[in-house]
Amino acid sequence: MGSLTGALPLPAFGGRVVVKTRVDYQNSQEGALVRRAQSGDEAAFREIVEHYQSKVFSIIHGIVRQRNDVEDIAQQVFAKVYFSLRNFDFRSSLITWIYKITVNECFDYLRKKKVRKLVYESDLSEDEVRRVENTEPSVDRTTPADESLARHDYVLKLLARVSEEERNLLMLKEVEGHSVEELAEMTGMNENTIKVKLFRARQKLVKAAQRLDRAPGLVAG
Amino acid sequence: MHQVILDRLEEHLSGSPCSREFTAHLESCEECRAEVREMQDLSGVFAALRAPEALNPSPGFYAQVSRRVEAQRPRSLWSFVWLEPAFGRRVAFASLMTLAILGSYLITRETEYSAGPPRPEVIMAQQSPADNQDTILATLASYEP
Repeated sequence: MGSLTGALPLPAFGGRVVVKTRVDYQNSQEGALVRRAQSGDEAAFREIVEHYQSKVFSIIHGIVRQRNDVEDIAQQVFAKVYFSLRNFDFRSSLITWIYKITVNECFDYLRKKKVRKLVYESDLSEDEVRRVENTEPSVDRTTPADESLARHDYVLKLLARVSEEERNLLMLKEVEGHSVEELAEMTGMNENTIKVKLFRARQKLVKAAQRLDRAPGLVAG
Repeated sequence: MHQVILDRLEEHLSGSPCSREFTAHLESCEECRAEVREMQDLSGVFAALRAPEALNPSPGFYAQVSRRVEAQRPRSLWSFVWLEPAFGRRVAFASLMTLAILGSYLITRETEYSAGPPRPEVIMAQQSPADNQDTILATLASYEP
């Protein structure tokens, strides 16, 4: 693996060319922690859990709004991390790898639950529940809470139509706000590959959105 | 979508300022303009996947993770034998039966071979017919049942 980003002079052309090399995760501090955990050091695994648990909770809560299930899914995520850690090959950063496991676990949960309700009653505040129950029928029935949940449900249905890799890239880009350069460092892929994958994923989302808009019941969530 | 748009699409969707070339092409190409607009609309809905509030793990979270790991840990064959008595008994019984059958077979074969010293006619049958009569007489004389 190469070192971090640097600039190398090319004598043949007399100019400087910026050459980006891959980040060496294996020989970093985090890499040492992972290697200890891979060899069975429980304290190292505990350190990984405590370091990333808040982030994992945040990712899950963004996808799965039911608070009761967030901790259960988080436990399952770290159990998978424990059993799969020996296969982690340092091609990406640890958090990218954990992020992928977390998102996949959330979508597996949603598939199993087959949640199709628009309003998750357990996640509405008391005021919101009271407002929903006591609201007189009116022309405009949508509330900000309903709209937010509708968008949430909608984007989950769209993301169910793309591959795991595309879904993870889209979420890292759109939800976490990473740039293409950062994604390249985090995933170990080159920037052009990431641009192409994101573009194809977006095309699939557009097609899924067109089908959903024409026939809302057809696109499975 | 044309390459000039593809190259800068992600920057554009992130809200970064775009090159003149990018902007000029978007203004002149309706196909690219429509496609970019659709992708921009969808880009906006991803905000719905951000956590609405911070959720903290419970104090015993790591202990629960440990319990789950132990519950999901694959079991070895020995743990089946010692922790699942019924299975262990079946394995033990099958092993004893196998040993008994094998032992019976070996004992039977040994009995066939240990029937006492060979009889004269057996010795003579094993010998070559060219041997002389003296040899035959000597064998008969020396035979002791």
